Amino acid sequence: MKILVCIKQVPDQESRPTVNQERTWAGYAENASYWINRYDEHAVEEALRIREMIPKTAIDIVSLGPERVKSAIKRCIEMGADQGFHLYYDRNDYLSPSIKSHLIAEFCKNREYDLILTGVMSEDMMSGQTGPMIAAQLGVPSATSVMKLKINAEKQSIQVERELDSGHRCFMELVLPALVAVQSGINRPRYPSLSNVMRAKNTEIMEIRWTEGLPASKYETVERISEVGADRAGIRLEGTTAEKAAALWQLLHEKSLI
Amino acid sequence: MNHYISNKSIMVMCEQSGGRILPVTHELIFCASLIADRYDSRITAVLPGNIAGAEFISGADLLVINSPGLAEYTCEGWEKAALLAAEQIMPDIIIIAHTSTGYDYAPRVAALLEGGCITSVAGIEFTRDGIRYRRSGFHGKLDLLYKAGKPPLVITVLPGAFPANVQQAEPGTVGYINADINPVFTSNLQYMIPDQSNTELEHAEVIIAAGKGIGKIENLQMIREMASCFNRSAIAGSRVACDNGWIEYNAQVGLTGKKVAPLLYVACGISGSMQHIVGMKDSKTVVSINRDPDAAIFHHSDICIVEELEKFIPEFIRETEKNRT
Repeated sequence: MKILVCIKQVPDQESRPTVNQERTWAGYAENASYWINRYDEHAVEEALRIREMIPKTAIDIVSLGPERVKSAIKRCIEMGADQGFHLYYDRNDYLSPSIKSHLIAEFCKNREYDLILTGVMSEDMMSGQTGPMIAAQLGVPSATSVMKLKINAEKQSIQVERELDSGHRCFMELVLPALVAVQSGINRPRYPSLSNVMRAKNTEIMEIRWTEGLPASKYETVERISEVGADRAGIRLEGTTAEKAAALWQLLHEKSLI
Repeated sequence: MNHYISNKSIMVMCEQSGGRILPVTHELIFCASLIADRYDSRITAVLPGNIAGAEFISGADLLVINSPGLAEYTCEGWEKAALLAAEQIMPDIIIIAHTSTGYDYAPRVAALLEGGCITSVAGIEFTRDGIRYRRSGFHGKLDLLYKAGKPPLVITVLPGAFPANVQQAEPGTVGYINADINPVFTSNLQYMIPDQSNTELEHAEVIIAAGKGIGKIENLQMIREMASCFNRSAIAGSRVACDNGWIEYNAQVGLTGKKVAPLLYVACGISGSMQHIVGMKDSKTVVSINRDPDAAIFHHSDICIVEELEKFIPEFIRETEKNRT
């Protein structure tokens, strides 16, 4: 079985994004920390678990982004993935999921993956588009928000349990090849083992660059970025911790809440 | 690049369950009606299903895509129904609900129609040269205004972002397409409603909710103690808190969990993604405690406290005890 896991590297949630001068996109400080999108880390773990059930499974990792994403790919190899591919893109601007998915679908062609795994969305942008779009472009079925999966090797299919709104569930069966976007909570991602850390040191990450440049975007664009409009008054309590605690108690007491 | 977009035709995908149109559909129609008022557009609501007789829908023409293969949801079936309808309607904009059904197939429809896609849209604005779609990004810390590219544009709209359409304008027409849609790659095996009842949470007047920021299960004790400062209180959690096993899934608040509306909601170490906000935004008073001064949750709070939980919560508990005696 051949599995591809698509991962995104995301900035630390507590980093402060700085909007560019044209107010069309935002970036982060040089020393900001980045990690594997949490949902994608669950996808990597799920691929490793499939390999434990089905020996001879090969696990590839692909990620799109600037030089720094190599460290996220490397981390996946340290977790146990076999090979890593880096689709090099170093512009800090809005890249439509339509284009991202096109580039990844192109990468997939002729590589004959039986299963493509990814997270249900990215932590930072939360679009949840790239996965299903890759599947549509490859003409394969997909399922999102998956909390459980099981390969049926004989039937060449995968059974998935999808999480629906309000915690409802539905069980679907997809013919392979297919794409499955996993929800967090599907598993607990493992820590890299020492032997895999050693192996990762000697595993080269293949870098892929586009020679013809990117297709011009005919898709949606981000025109302007602004501060989030607050939908509540949002008074900020000031002072020492004790003063804030006293102020909160007083405010809640005035509203007869405590 | 300037693509001419007339915005004359809007397609709305109905959310349905067992042939019944779900209420969120009326929110989508309201969103469409804002555009229609400006561009004099026609709104067509598309209902995929295996339905003998559908009722009129207020504010839109209804187009039923009728096929035995659409008796229950599959991504493949809904995608094919949407493509078939789009062929007939030739929409500039396709509006779908940002629900577990909607976000499952919406991006695929966009990809196959070679149009753009904007998910979890929270609002729309009009400018001199067209419509802008608003959603949050960068961990919910910034608002992004999007502009459509070459039509059609597919958007998914967050439940609750628009009021339900109640205009009693003359109902539109009802049309049928008898199609032969048979999903071949996907089958829907079973639907399940697990017992997720949590009467304590449902009846609570005060909810103390824990997020990623509590850091470890040991800190749950402090959340419990804070809850005990209040009458009729319960604890709840964000998705991350539940995934980490700190809080039971039946106490998860958000799009995939429960929707709550207590008198007081205290968010402890919750960053405030749109997925979470959808579940608690109808709370009467919202207090947020977070060490990140830029956390998105502060935009949805009445009282904001930038503090480490481990310092602040014990202090608050002490304060409460002091005032009791």
